Formats: sequence, C-alpha cells, structure tokens
Amino acid sequence: MERAEKVGLGVAAAGHLVLFGLLSVGFLATPNPDKLRATPVEVSLVEDVALESAAPAPAADPAQSIAPEEGPPEDAVPPEPAPAPPEPAPKLQPAPPLPAPAPVPRPQPAPPKPAPQPKAAPKAAPKQPRRPAAEPKAAPKQAQPKAAPKQAAAAPKPTTTAAAKKGTGSTQTAAAARPRGSRLGDDFLKGLSAEPSRSTNPNPPATRVGAQQAANIGAAIQRQIQPCANRQVSPGPGAERIRVAINLRINRDGSLASRPTVRGSTGVDDDNRRYVDRVEDLAVAAFVGCAPLRGLPPELYDVPGGWSNFTLRYKLPG
Amino acid sequence: MNPFFNTDAATLSPVALFLQADWVVKAVMIGLLLASIWTWAIIIAFSRRVARTRREMAKFERDFWAADDIDAFYKVHGTSELPSARVFAAGVSEWRNSTAASPIDKSGTRERLATAMGASVAAEIDHLSDRLNILATVGSVAPFVGLFGTVWGIMRSFTSIASAQNTSLAVVAPGIAEALFATAIGLFAAIPAVIAYNRFSHGVNRVEASLNRFADGFHATLSRQLDGAR
Repeated sequence: MERAEKVGLGVAAAGHLVLFGLLSVGFLATPNPDKLRATPVEVSLVEDVALESAAPAPAADPAQSIAPEEGPPEDAVPPEPAPAPPEPAPKLQPAPPLPAPAPVPRPQPAPPKPAPQPKAAPKAAPKQPRRPAAEPKAAPKQAQPKAAPKQAAAAPKPTTTAAAKKGTGSTQTAAAARPRGSRLGDDFLKGLSAEPSRSTNPNPPATRVGAQQAANIGAAIQRQIQPCANRQVSPGPGAERIRVAINLRINRDGSLASRPTVRGSTGVDDDNRRYVDRVEDLAVAAFVGCAPLRGLPPELYDVPGGWSNFTLRYKLPG
Repeated sequence: MNPFFNTDAATLSPVALFLQADWVVKAVMIGLLLASIWTWAIIIAFSRRVARTRREMAKFERDFWAADDIDAFYKVHGTSELPSARVFAAGVSEWRNSTAASPIDKSGTRERLATAMGASVAAEIDHLSDRLNILATVGSVAPFVGLFGTVWGIMRSFTSIASAQNTSLAVVAPGIAEALFATAIGLFAAIPAVIAYNRFSHGVNRVEASLNRFADGFHATLSRQLDGAR
C-alpha cells in the first residue's frame, strides 16, 4: 500500500464517520411517526340503518304573536260630570285649577293626550291673579272650572268611549269589548298574526318512507294475505319458485282501490314456465280474497313510497 | 442507550438501524461499509496519483524532446519512478545491450527495442491500474450483497409478523427499514465505485495512449540513430 493510498484510506474513513455521525444525531430525521398514528375510532356495527327519514315530520304551524299583555282592562272611572258644570258656587276657591279630578283612565295609552290640561291650566291661572278683587264675579270662575273638566273629559273620549258611555261598565263587558290589551300592535311582526293559523308549508308529512318501514308494511300485508295464499294449490312442480311482483292500489281504509296488477315474474325457468300465468292469477286472487288490509300505519299512507301504491313480491307457499 | 445517538426506531439513525438488525444483516452492513471506505480510499488515492502522473509525464516528455544528449538525460532521469522514465530507461538499456556487439543486427535491435518498451508500457499500466479491479468488483457486487441483506431482513420481518399475529405497520416497519438500510449501504458503496471505475479506466487509457506515443517516438529516434550508426 502506497502512501497515497494510506492518505486516501484515512480521508475516506474520516468522511464515512462524519456522514454516519450526522445521520445518527438526526440530521435527516423523519418526523416522529407517533404523531402520524391515527387515534382509534370506536366502530359499532348496527343491523338496521334507515337512511331516509322514517318518521313523519309534520310541519309546525307558524308561531303566533303572543305579546306581553297588561291583564284585564279596567273600567275607566266615569268622569264626574256633576261637579264641574253645576258648581256655580261663587265662593269657590280657585285653588283647584289643575284638573286633578279629571279622570285619568288607566287604559288611556297615549301620554300626549294630557297636553290640553296644561293648556287649560295656564289659561285659567293668569285669569285668577288678574282680577283678585273681582271676586264676586262668578263669570270667569265658572268659565274656568267648566273649561277644565271639558278638556279633561274630551281627552279620554277617543279611547274609552264605549266603557265610559256605559256608565256602570262592569269588568265583564269591558273585557268582552276589548279582550286583549297587548302593548304591541297586531303588526308588530310582519307575517305573524295574533290568530292561530294553519301551516302553509307544502312539504308532505314525511319526506319518504324509509326502507325499514317499507319492509314492515310489506310484512304486514304478507301476513294478512297468508290465509288466502295458504288455501291455494300449487299448479305444478316448480311453480313455487315463481315470484310475482304485484302492485296494489289501496284506499286509506285498507280496501283495494283497483284490481292488483302484475308487474312481472322472476324465478321462471324451463320447468315452471307454463305455470307463470296461473301463478299470477293466483297471486291476484290471494290479494283480492283477503282484501281489506288492516293495521297499516296511516301516517305512511300518502307519502312517497307509502302504501297507497305498494308493490311487493308474492310466491306460492311451499 | 447512548445519549448521543438517537437509537429510537423512528429516526433514520444508522446506528439504531444497525443495532436492531439481525446478525446476518449486521455482517452485510459491516462488509458493505468497509467496501465503501476502501472504495473511497482508492478513489482519493487514485485520482491524486493519476493527476500527478499525467502532469509529470507531460513535463518529462517536454524535457525529453528538448534534450540534446540522450545519455546525459538518461543520467538524470534514469532512475525515476515515472512511467515515461521507466519506458525510456527500458529503451536505453536495451539500446545499450544491443549495440554493445560490433556487428549490429539492425532489424533485430529494432524488434527488441519495440518489445522491451512495449513490455515496459504494459508493466506500468498494470501497476497503475492495480486497484481498478477493486472498484469494478465493489460496483458490481455491492448492490447484490445489499439486496441479500434486505431479503434476509424482510424475511425476518415476516416471521415476526407471523409470531406476533399482528399485521400492523408498527410490527413490520422497523424490520423492513433496517432491511432496506442494507440495500441503501450497498448502493452507497456501489454508485461511487462504478462512477470512479469508469472515470479511472478512461484516465488509465489516456495514460497508456500517451505512454505508447512516447515509446513510439523514442523508438523512431533510436531507429534513426541505428541507421546512422555503422
């Protein structure tokens, strides 16, 4: 081995050491595969899966507007008509310029209504001090109290006329006249009425009959026609292998709307080909013979895939 | 284990892969690693030697054709280790032996000169390309050796599947990774060896061609001298 080869050997060994050392300390490390490992998912195997909505989903009626109410309306206190006009008392203290006795009916909803009151009061007030001496003059005094009640009485009129006119307005009559005291108007939400309303949703009660329900209906029909089927006699060997697809049109009460129709036959081979017509007739006869079908779920009658128009397979017993 | 080395299976650590391997695979890996080291040693040494040889040969031939007196030139360069110098020395010694007798057999001398220098060229080329066969061997055999290690390791992995009754990837993956590591080392050793072999074959061929040209030229010179001699 020459000197050059020794040098080369040393360099090569050193290079390999460096390379493998780098790889060993994770120079090209792959990401930790623990993070890539999928967490186990629990899987349960179920026998029956209904992919379609099996239960009827009746469309809900639209909501009704129910607003906070104020309770039974109270009768308006009848405005005392007596005190004001027939009180021509000349010595009347003009102190009550504010028409406190003026009936402030509870159900009066509009606050701006009392506006006339202050209008009346100032009118009367300046009049009083202007003629302090002329006390015997009853004319202005009369005018003032008169005006006040009138104004006050006029205010409640628009709202409580009915109750007020009845005078003795009992709670009953008031309630009958105005059964509801909603704080909100009828149109506080557009499209919602205060009255209960029927749904206008055009969706059928159930979107579709699920596969399991269809199988249940088929089983129920099969069970009911089984007595008729059992009475039938096989026309020949191999006839029981024929399966007839038969279509029923059923009324809502379970009776047949029309004669069942045959949609086709399967399981026909060379042995039983000559019995096909006979078996089809027997199938129709079995359904006609045990015709009124009972106990079918009414909610699945008129939906797509429901039993109003039902196709099932019939085969001779045996 | 060693805190410095990542020995867990999830990394590409060669040490971890080596330590987990079967002893057959370990032997394969060690052999291939040694082959790789030896290959690179040859590559480094050879490339330096060929480059130096060609450089010095070019200088020698320049000096030779510029020299006036062959005997004086022979005194200086007669003992050189250079291939050209060896060929030159072989020619000169054959010339001296053949022209020592008084009636010179010209055609016989020419033949002997050609034979002596051709033999010298062949000897020098043999000496120069001594290590190339190792490169050729490593380049052709290392992939198969690595493949053998891989096949062995994968067989062992499948046995472990059978014994663990579990086909999950976690059972198979480490074994297959360490098995494939054997092929990786084999290719790691073989690819440079093949490349270097082709490249050095070409270099040796060029040296040989250059030596032959020099020998032919020297032979022509001696032949002319022979014609001029009595």
